[in-house]
Amino acid sequence: MAKAASKKRATKKRAVKAKAAAKASNKNDDIGEEKRLKMWELQLEVRHLEQRAHDLFFQNMIKGTSHLAIGQEAVSAGCAAAMCDDDYTFCTYRGHAHTLVRGTSMTGMLGELMGRSCGMLGGKGGSMHLTDVEKGAMGSYAIIGAHLPIAAGAAWQAQYKGTGQVAFCFFGDGTTNIGAFHEALNFAVIWKLPVIFVCENNLYMEYTPISEVTAVEHPAADRAAAYGLPSIIVDGNDADAVYRVARDAAAKARAGDGPSLIEAKTYRHSGHSRADPATYRPKGELEKWMERDPLKIYRERLGEFGVTKKVIDSIEKDVLRRVDEATEAAKESPPPSDDVLMTDVYADGGSSWRN
Amino acid sequence: MDVLMPQLGETVAEGTLTIWHKSAGDKVTSGELLFEIGTDKVEMEVPAPATGVLQVINVDAGETVPVGTVLAVIDDGKAASPAKETPKAEPAKAAESASAPAPAAAPAVSKPAARGDQHKLSPVVRKLVAENNLDPAQITGTGRDGRIKKADVLAYLKGASAAAPAARPSAPAPAPAPRSGDGRTVIPFNRIRQMTAEHMVRSKTVSPHVHQGMEVDFSGVDRARKAKGAAWKAREGFSLNYLPFIARAVCDAIAEFPNINAHVEGDNLVVHDSVNLSIAVDLNFEGLVAPVIQNASAMTAVEIARAVADLANRARSNQLTSDDYAGATYTISNNGSFGTYFTTPIINQPQVAILSTDAITQRPWVVNVDGEDMMAIRPIGVLTQAFDHRAIDGAYSAAFLRRLKEIIETKDWSAALP
Amino acid sequence: MAELTYREAVIEGIAQEMRRDEDVVFLGEDIAKAGGVFKATVGLYDEFGPLRVRDTPISEQAILGAAMGAAMTGLKPIAEIMFSDFLAVCWDIVANQIAKSRYMTNGQVDVPLVIRTANGGGARFGAQHSQSVENWAMMIPGLKVVAPSTPADIKGLMAAAIRDPDPVLFFEQKSLYATKGEVPDGEHVDEIGTAKVVREGDDVTIVALAAMVPRALAAAERLQSEAGISASVVDLRSLVPLDTKTIFEQVEKTSRLVTVEENPRLCGWGAEVSSIVAEEMFWNLDMPIVRITTPHIPLPSADELEDIALPSVDRIFETVRREVD
Repeated sequence: MAKAASKKRATKKRAVKAKAAAKASNKNDDIGEEKRLKMWELQLEVRHLEQRAHDLFFQNMIKGTSHLAIGQEAVSAGCAAAMCDDDYTFCTYRGHAHTLVRGTSMTGMLGELMGRSCGMLGGKGGSMHLTDVEKGAMGSYAIIGAHLPIAAGAAWQAQYKGTGQVAFCFFGDGTTNIGAFHEALNFAVIWKLPVIFVCENNLYMEYTPISEVTAVEHPAADRAAAYGLPSIIVDGNDADAVYRVARDAAAKARAGDGPSLIEAKTYRHSGHSRADPATYRPKGELEKWMERDPLKIYRERLGEFGVTKKVIDSIEKDVLRRVDEATEAAKESPPPSDDVLMTDVYADGGSSWRN
Repeated sequence: MDVLMPQLGETVAEGTLTIWHKSAGDKVTSGELLFEIGTDKVEMEVPAPATGVLQVINVDAGETVPVGTVLAVIDDGKAASPAKETPKAEPAKAAESASAPAPAAAPAVSKPAARGDQHKLSPVVRKLVAENNLDPAQITGTGRDGRIKKADVLAYLKGASAAAPAARPSAPAPAPAPRSGDGRTVIPFNRIRQMTAEHMVRSKTVSPHVHQGMEVDFSGVDRARKAKGAAWKAREGFSLNYLPFIARAVCDAIAEFPNINAHVEGDNLVVHDSVNLSIAVDLNFEGLVAPVIQNASAMTAVEIARAVADLANRARSNQLTSDDYAGATYTISNNGSFGTYFTTPIINQPQVAILSTDAITQRPWVVNVDGEDMMAIRPIGVLTQAFDHRAIDGAYSAAFLRRLKEIIETKDWSAALP
Repeated sequence: MAELTYREAVIEGIAQEMRRDEDVVFLGEDIAKAGGVFKATVGLYDEFGPLRVRDTPISEQAILGAAMGAAMTGLKPIAEIMFSDFLAVCWDIVANQIAKSRYMTNGQVDVPLVIRTANGGGARFGAQHSQSVENWAMMIPGLKVVAPSTPADIKGLMAAAIRDPDPVLFFEQKSLYATKGEVPDGEHVDEIGTAKVVREGDDVTIVALAAMVPRALAAAERLQSEAGISASVVDLRSLVPLDTKTIFEQVEKTSRLVTVEENPRLCGWGAEVSSIVAEEMFWNLDMPIVRITTPHIPLPSADELEDIALPSVDRIFETVRREVD
């Protein structure tokens, strides 16, 4: 009993010391307050929007399927902080976060999930295909692995035109076992394409633990060597850690030195999809990871860097307000009109296959 | 070895096995009478194609099966012949299609072998018939198995409307000029020639023609002509020839043999109540047309005579209209002016018979006077009727001709003339 | 006009467009230094260099995925899939990604690419290298499908395909690569979605595609001289968009339709054409519609067997002669 108590005291002492040290240190480290606040805001946006989508699903206002990334906010936020506005992102059907962090409209996103005409895809794509080309969000892809070579192609364009753009490509641990993953990596390496492949390893390939179906321990990082790439593993719940790794990979790509493969360890709080209550998780696993909730980590991080609780909370309040506004706006939007059904199959805006 | 239902005729698709001369299990010798078949035309004895044992009989006596059906199998000690495709109704084409190998041929032809049914009107034929208010019964089919195809309807329409303009020498599209050289001259067919050619071929394809001739003594007609002829000519402006008498006699005879005045529609004979008599007219070697005297059966010989003269005049001066060609039920072809003994005419479709009248000449003739046979000089002419053997048989046609002869020879023709 | 082979016309069509537009790039297996396994891209690497003409590994999904990504972001890629049979390997990219992206994103995404591929049999390559799969592409909404039969059409339609803002599957029939034809000099751009009446006739209309077109023409000659049947022949040239107008004009005239298709029977392109004609031109038909196709089997490799399987001039002639009354 005494040992525990003294251990506790020691920990507290160390924490106070660290805080003081941080306060004393330069607030402008390699990341800086502005970027941190941005990452905080992005993570909050993702968290609250996903939470809202979760609630709307249970209110029967969102149909079909929805893949939520609650608990994985730090990966998309950290990478977004390393991107330029004209960089490209490609993500999977669990792509609300990756699309949102490019600055897309919340109303457009919720509208799309609710199948309304204000939806960013006019109600024609749905949750799994969120795209905002203007913001560089080049699509969410529902066939595992398909977007990896596509992202490589976008990078090829940047290389060919010498624009300095890079492409970030997000996917899950399950993707590392499909053919397109391997083709895309080999291809990107031999052509030295400016593409950053980011694997969010949330430990589960749909309903199965990834370890049961993968020949190596780290599904992405342990494959890197097969393609002549360094193994990069990062704590996917720490936005700062993710940011640093993403920043370095982007710099490498922009310099013409080719692609990177990053494995970000993280965890998703909910099931694979809304239809999945995730009873396949071992007892206690979720609780352990909740301790490492990215927002919890980042709130503390901001504090360490001297950001006041007031500022931290006001950003959150503002995000919540915007999510509420978007929710109301989306609810008020009507369903798509019938005449959009036959539009935009071809470049002429129509769908005609004959004369 | 398979024993097949033989091909009995070009257009015959099936046959009835009437009698088996052997039973299953019997020994048979090649050439020995094995069975008999019958169609509506012919009875036939069929010998065994091989020596051996009649293994199995598939078709019983009295059954009707398509040509090519395996009727029985003879075990002749040789290996079984590979399964053949059932030969189709047209033997010439079957030989060629056998060379196209089965797997390749199979996907290309996915319909039953026997096709063609004159009742079946294809969509485009139905449309044209409906649009033009036509009666399909009036249209001759020259498609497979006699079906009416689009070209037939179009030809019919052209014939109905274009025959008139074709009769005018000053037709909008004049016939191309003959070309000479190399010891020969090429004369392109003019419109009438083309249409005639088409019609004649078609008629022969559709109707099985049988011709019967009857010598007729025109002395009774001659008496009337001689008695009233001059006055007639003076009054009417044209001579009284034999045609009106023959035409009137034909109408009388048809009244007793109505099936002569009909057309074939599928498996039906459609008999007409009145005789619309079509008279073939030659246009000075430029072509043949056959305008119609409507309802000739209701006319007297005199009226018929006037109608014929009118038609002939109008034909020669290009004044015939499409109405003048419509609705004929029987045709008389007047061929005698050049002295021919007989002619075997071609039926004017869709009618089932046509009569040729040839030269009437003075001939030594045996007559019976007061029970004694003696020689006289009589005006004799041969009337030849062609009939469609689908519709009627020889006995019926012959009986009609006999009655026709009787009427011509015995009617009081003087009383028929004014 | 110059006489070119079909394969030379491929090169000319691509070169014409690459000279004109710097955004046109070309990738595929063995297409650059080797000039393509069918020698259909010889000289492009020399003229346009390794940045614009790039060899790839054997990675069909990467090839088409990269082409799509490049097209989405502003380039005009041409991707070669060496044998059209291999489209099965990367069919996800074709059918699920390329074909659907514009629609799913409500028009945000452009995919102006060309997938060119060597299609069809006759070369004794066996079942996995001889298929005609243009019908696979026809049935996926969102694609355009082209299959020329002559060198002139190859050049003109290749140019049109490269300029087309939509994804085009461009089927080159490998059995035609050595055939020759007159090709217009200078810039030649044809129109996708237009068929050509390559022979006029009155009695029956034969609609054919790619390698079946010359066979249909040869059969039509025999039909005229040996059977007195006057056949019109339509070279469809594109399956999507489909030039139904030209087909209807011909069927209205002749009232009889026959298709000649190299693809196997079920769901061949002729099934769709037949169905459209049966539905919309029913009252013009004087004969049931007849399809002449390869049977519904994988293609054999032996000379004689493959020749029986593919629709031959003899089979076309015999079938039409038998069916037309």
